[in-house]
Amino acid sequence: MQKRTVGLLSVSGAILVAAVSACGTSSSSSPSASSGGGGLASCKGTISVATDLPLTGGDATDGPFPQRGAQLAVEQANSNHTLGGCTLNYTSKDDSSVAQNGHDPAQGAQNMTALAQDPSVVGVVGPFNSSVALTEIPVASQNHLAMISPANTNPCLTVALAVCSDPTVNIPTNSLYKGPHTYFRVIATDNDQSQILAYIATKVVNATKAYVIDDQQAYGHGLAVLFAKYYQADGGTVVGNASLPSNTKTFATQMSDAQSKGAQLIFFGGTSGDGCGLVRRDMGAAGLNLPILGGDGCQDEKFITDANSGSKTTQAEGSQATSAPDVTKLSSSTAFYAAYAQRFASDPKPYNDAKNEPYSPYGYDAMNILIQAIKTALTSNGGQPPSDSTKFRDAVVSALRNTAWDGALGHTTFDSNGDTTNTGFTLYKVASGAWTGVNTYAVDTSGKVSVKS
Amino acid sequence: MNNETEPAAEPAPRAVGAQVATPYRLVSEEGLAPRAPTGGGAAARRVLPAFRAAYGFTSQYFPAILLVAIALTILGVYHSGGLTLMGQQVRNALVLGAIYALIAIGYTMVYGIIELINFAHGDVFALSGFYAIVIAEALGLDKLATSGLGGLLVALIVLFTLSMIAAGLTGMLIERVAYRRLRDAPRVAPLITAIGVSFLIEGFLLVFFGPDNVATNKANWITGNAFSAGGVAVGFKDIFVVGIALVLMFALGAFVRGTKLGKAMRSTAQDRAAALLCGININRTIALTFFIGSALAAAGAIVYSINYGDVQWNLGFRLGIIAFTAAVLGGIGNIVGAGIGGFLIGIIYVFGGSLAGGEWAESLIFAVLVLILTFRPVGLFGIDVGTRA
Repeated sequence: MQKRTVGLLSVSGAILVAAVSACGTSSSSSPSASSGGGGLASCKGTISVATDLPLTGGDATDGPFPQRGAQLAVEQANSNHTLGGCTLNYTSKDDSSVAQNGHDPAQGAQNMTALAQDPSVVGVVGPFNSSVALTEIPVASQNHLAMISPANTNPCLTVALAVCSDPTVNIPTNSLYKGPHTYFRVIATDNDQSQILAYIATKVVNATKAYVIDDQQAYGHGLAVLFAKYYQADGGTVVGNASLPSNTKTFATQMSDAQSKGAQLIFFGGTSGDGCGLVRRDMGAAGLNLPILGGDGCQDEKFITDANSGSKTTQAEGSQATSAPDVTKLSSSTAFYAAYAQRFASDPKPYNDAKNEPYSPYGYDAMNILIQAIKTALTSNGGQPPSDSTKFRDAVVSALRNTAWDGALGHTTFDSNGDTTNTGFTLYKVASGAWTGVNTYAVDTSGKVSVKS
Repeated sequence: MNNETEPAAEPAPRAVGAQVATPYRLVSEEGLAPRAPTGGGAAARRVLPAFRAAYGFTSQYFPAILLVAIALTILGVYHSGGLTLMGQQVRNALVLGAIYALIAIGYTMVYGIIELINFAHGDVFALSGFYAIVIAEALGLDKLATSGLGGLLVALIVLFTLSMIAAGLTGMLIERVAYRRLRDAPRVAPLITAIGVSFLIEGFLLVFFGPDNVATNKANWITGNAFSAGGVAVGFKDIFVVGIALVLMFALGAFVRGTKLGKAMRSTAQDRAAALLCGININRTIALTFFIGSALAAAGAIVYSINYGDVQWNLGFRLGIIAFTAAVLGGIGNIVGAGIGGFLIGIIYVFGGSLAGGEWAESLIFAVLVLILTFRPVGLFGIDVGTRA
């Protein structure tokens, strides 16, 4: 009983945080959020929002977390009357298909079409996968429907970087939507991450010659190509590279190559499952005492186990990798995690705890940002939903462009492409057998990297 | 030499055992034999004489051409990285080649005796790696092996013996359950069964040991550098890997040539029906072949786990396919050929990957496979019916 009271208190705490930050967000609306805002009290009707995330099959361990985060945001907004007299109606769509045993771009496009044809829907949180975003962005954009992704890190979805037309990067840019789009995301892109990685390689590790290995996958190869580009721009030289199949188990050939070419750093683009830790293991076998640097795909327990499985059982020590900042450690996320645990306590494991997956707070923030944009659109229309649904959707999109939201992830604004400016990545280093955060870096739109306080 | 025999003709000795399903055989031995450059008929000879001559030349001198290409690749690596890089890559190639050779022998023995490409063999290799983990854990061998030289020797002997017996019995079981009833069926049937067994083993390993790399805890059994020459450090481990492979290959050679059971294997390979008429227990001989092939795969798996320190559920697929290429390169059915083919493939993989970039290493191996099948389907050393088993 007592526990429940505490939980309820923390829920109201979360609402209070949301309400307070709402004041800072929308200057045009009345500051009294608890009463729903002056003009909003007279608001009449139901406004629909939705999520489109992969919920079943192989993605059942990913999508349901941001989905619950978004659902929590809607429920909090309704119980708090954030939109005054109007209520939010929430729909959850699953973009998984049986055929793909997980996310399916075709299913995503079908879901987005259905949502776009429903005039009451003004915004969607999703999708999870960049491949699904490719098919959904045209549908949503042509129908003026705002979408906010909690998890797409592929930079080429929003910006036609030179690297996007590189045929070796597995991004079909010709299918990118060319017109003005209505797509936003609250997660930093691989482009941001590779700029930070290049900065770390040249300025922190002080390596001028790098040997670049990747796992031939869309994420890993893309990251390696982007890293090489920014590394060279920062004055580094790529002395050799190898793009190896993801199930490569031995890297002795590459280690000898790297040694012979005088590499000062090994960069791995890919995941631990695709050999990041095994590269570190083989560096030990080859007697190659160099730093290794990787992206978020390397920063996990599997890396340490694999790296230490060779004859040197402390080989993982000193390995470095960047990863998204640990949101669970941010003070801004405390209220969210508490509210989630309270609301979904009766759900089966692992869905009862948002900390079991990194994207839960991204879903929560994305939905809160959408709700704030709806609120701004309502307020500027005299507290009533515009009678024309297209005009309503346009107002939401333009409100999203001016987002300034302090949520679980920290302070989020969007640049002109719809990408978040909240681009922090933390550099982690293995010390005493565990990943330890060193510094958090951020990159601005001009590509300048700085240490975040 | 009668190279002009029509490929479709049935081999005379097989006709004795009509019940050995001769009518169903899809490939005759002549189909595997080197074709004469002019074998395409008179019309073809008139149309493309120059092409035919080039084909004839290539197929006749294929081993020499391949060796020259390999030598040039090695020189290319020497040119790009000097003696140190070349030396290191020779070491890497021999270590990898030794493991390929141990697996390739299993492929070639099974093919030699029942003309089946045993696609499950690579997975028996991976399975053996897990056997070694389980056995070493159960008997506390990891502790024993790191306690001193005597402990290491005892641990190695125990581990090799038990793992090889376990893998050998697994191989016999697979043969008994999946292949024996299909021995006289059309050749595609056991081939598909072999692929099925391969998936079965992979699925079993995935469920039991999970999708991640599994540490074998054997990487520190053997440590230290034996010697360094010109910047190339050769560890005791490298010598151990290559040494074990060579010792086992010579032991197998001696067994096949010098023992009664070896003789039975050779005669069964040569002509199953005739061997049966001579009183040879065909079933036992074939089971023995599976036992030995799988046991060698287990030896390869132990060597692999000591050298690298990890095994994975899907390890067998890639290594198996590459080792199969090694067996074809040496002449499938030819034990000595498979051993040498393993080392050659190791050299192609490492030096090709070093010179052209790692992403090309496997393409090069399979390009070599295509070239062998085009120009010299019998492999470098051919099927010498007298020695195959």
